[in-house]
Amino acid sequence: MGAPSIHEDLPGCPSVESAGAKGPLQVLTGILLRPLHHFIWANPSRRARKLLQFGEVEASGGRDLVRAAELTADPVLRARFLRHARDEARHAAMFRARGRTLRSTLTEGESGPALSEWFAPGERGIDGFDVARESDADLLAFLHLSESAAARDFARYANVLHRDAATRTLFQRVLRDEDQHMRYTRDELVRVAPERTRRILWWARMRRLWKAYLRFATALAGLIAGVVLTLQYFLLLPPFAWLAKRAARREQPGWVSIIEGKGR
Amino acid sequence: MKILGISGHYHDSAAALVIDGVPVAGVQEERLSRRKNDPNFPLAAIEWCLDQAGLEPDELDAVIFYERPTLKFDRILTGLLQNYPRSWRSYPKAMKNMLGEKLWVRGLIASQLGISTRKVQCIEHHQSHAAAAFLTAPVSEAAILTTDGVGEWATLTVGRGVKCIDGSAEINLLRELRFPHSLGLFYSAVTSYLGFEVNEGEYKVMGLAAYGLPTWMEEMRRLLRPTADGAFQLDLKYFDFLGGAESGYSQPFIDLFGPPRRSWEPIDLASDDGRRFADIAASAQRMLEDILVGIAVELRRETGLTSLCLGGGVALNGVANARVLAEAGFDRLFVPPAPGDAGCALGAALYANAILFGQPHRPMPDHPFWGPEPDSAALLRIALEDGQPATEDNEAELIEQVADALADDQIVGWVDGALEFGPRALGHRSILAAPHDAAMRDRLNRDIKYREEFRPFAPVVAVEHADRFFDLPPGGARLARFMSGVFRVRPEWAERLAAVTHVDGTARVQVVDREMAPRLHTLLEAYGRRTGIPVLLNTSFNLAGEPIVNSVAEAYSTFRRCGIDLLVAGNVRVTKPRIAQPTLLENVA
Repeated sequence: MGAPSIHEDLPGCPSVESAGAKGPLQVLTGILLRPLHHFIWANPSRRARKLLQFGEVEASGGRDLVRAAELTADPVLRARFLRHARDEARHAAMFRARGRTLRSTLTEGESGPALSEWFAPGERGIDGFDVARESDADLLAFLHLSESAAARDFARYANVLHRDAATRTLFQRVLRDEDQHMRYTRDELVRVAPERTRRILWWARMRRLWKAYLRFATALAGLIAGVVLTLQYFLLLPPFAWLAKRAARREQPGWVSIIEGKGR
Repeated sequence: MKILGISGHYHDSAAALVIDGVPVAGVQEERLSRRKNDPNFPLAAIEWCLDQAGLEPDELDAVIFYERPTLKFDRILTGLLQNYPRSWRSYPKAMKNMLGEKLWVRGLIASQLGISTRKVQCIEHHQSHAAAAFLTAPVSEAAILTTDGVGEWATLTVGRGVKCIDGSAEINLLRELRFPHSLGLFYSAVTSYLGFEVNEGEYKVMGLAAYGLPTWMEEMRRLLRPTADGAFQLDLKYFDFLGGAESGYSQPFIDLFGPPRRSWEPIDLASDDGRRFADIAASAQRMLEDILVGIAVELRRETGLTSLCLGGGVALNGVANARVLAEAGFDRLFVPPAPGDAGCALGAALYANAILFGQPHRPMPDHPFWGPEPDSAALLRIALEDGQPATEDNEAELIEQVADALADDQIVGWVDGALEFGPRALGHRSILAAPHDAAMRDRLNRDIKYREEFRPFAPVVAVEHADRFFDLPPGGARLARFMSGVFRVRPEWAERLAAVTHVDGTARVQVVDREMAPRLHTLLEAYGRRTGIPVLLNTSFNLAGEPIVNSVAEAYSTFRRCGIDLLVAGNVRVTKPRIAQPTLLENVA
């Protein structure tokens, strides 16, 4: 593509193209986000938390792939999905192990603050994709894009982990698998839908965008609702709270009698 | 009447269909959606139940939801107000949670099924539990005790049920304990404190308890105090159910018991902390048992009845159940195969049939197999497509081959007939293995279940031989029918049943009769002929974090991903070449 490689300081990692950085936009995004990634990954507590979250996402993705293997009628895809699921399970175990190791080195104070549950596109696994309702081709396209996004994000993270060789190595190992997953999903998509490959991929991209919009809209709505409800809590509820507390003080502990039903 | 029961929106959603007073279908949503403890509206389970009976939604006479959302909302709102202003973080979450969907459940059900809201009714949570426990039990009159975390307001109810000769039935719940005074929430808070997941890790607390001593009883008595009328109350200083803490326990709880276990740290029973956690688990378990036994003793005295039906999530505690049977004075104790919230779907439908609509009660099939049947032909096809050695044999030959494999220390995935309704694999979706060596237990933990070493595996034994190996009290075999009681392994057999004997010499045994599970019974007999011990290790057919398998495709994928040697569904047998296993396990590890 001619763009500078985001893997240039990662020996042994997949190429720029195969790691999902397909155009100047992604490269520019990578450069712009680099300070943010530095901020997130510099802190051991956040790093541990992120890795444990990745462990959960990979495990969940692995379960979805198992489900896909169980549902497909195509024996080749069944074998591919099961192998892919094993890779995801292995990644989950690796992320968890590293996250736990990092966590065990933290003091109580360091392990306290929580990180937002927000995920980057590549961190979402197959992103709530309902494998039971989709065709093999749609699933392959979605997987291909998800793996591509994951590879891109993981490569960026590895690049800012200069002081944590173990985590960096972990990302490099996972990246190699993601590269392989990207290739097989693309190859299989071409095999199962040779005439419609491009169309299906574009459709999958549109759906990912739509999901991103829905996530944003839901989060915004949740935020607004949260603010309104918090205001309501502090402005309207105090008298009711006083009444509820007074009623609670009058309640006697122990049994409460009830009357029950009778049939026929 | 055709009545659909639904439970959902909290954890472990389910649907069950009752026609003319008898269950015809029931399944947990997780078994179809493949998301463990799936709390979502159980649309797939509903669709399956209706398909199974060949019904369209508009042919249903009624749809019954297992609890009253408005009462639940009342309890949540009141709790938040009582905890003002500490509940300020919980309030927006709780309101969004309830107002989004859960409060409008009648409309939701009506719109999802395309039926009139007039057909949709709600009954109370503990009525559902009581009906699930009493109306499914083969008994005409019994005391009833239901206990769980919380439903609407009730956390524990006692009462009595009668099935009359004229077909009428009564369930009279006499009194209740109300939120926040809850045995289930007490145990969940301890579960959380010990670093296990609430609504999932309670089994682990029970397993861990056997490694400890109840040395924290004095502290436990501060948490849970008796009331003058024979009930109990929690000292709310030690708990935080609505104040914003997700754990359920508060800082004074930590001050009392020391730092909680961090979930990612393994429990090392050789360390001081590990022993402390085991002792706390043992103390909480003892406390729960003491309270339950006390309430059951009083109920026995009050009702004069000799049978007790126990329902609610706490009834999954087999150690406590066994103590209630031994000490409360009841001759028989009935715990349904699904005493938790999933079972409420069936309970709600049965309650509506017998109580709301006054339909005659009919004898209930005494088994838990209300789910989908496997398609063994599909297994044969899939396995052959993948080049796995697979054969279809006649039943007698297959049973003998499986018994040979088990005697040869192979691990067998066993799929047989309709799926169990409830959390336990009772011989239709089970992993079976030889129960003799601790090495088998370790192998199962290492290659298949990936779980903590302190959690025991359960045995299954044919009813004819149960007393020979297990110290079952009167009524024990009944309690063990659905694996609901923990009993002592006879000392002379403990060494030869090492894989299923817990550290305290007990086992959560399943006693199976030929009528309930004929093929498993035959297999046990065949295995007994080879080894002299007609007992097998029986654990649920699933991997860590996954629901129990339902279809043969799920059984097959599980078989491919772990150390199971042989998969059987119907008369189809799939073997795994032993040489392939190291590679496979390396990939999974």
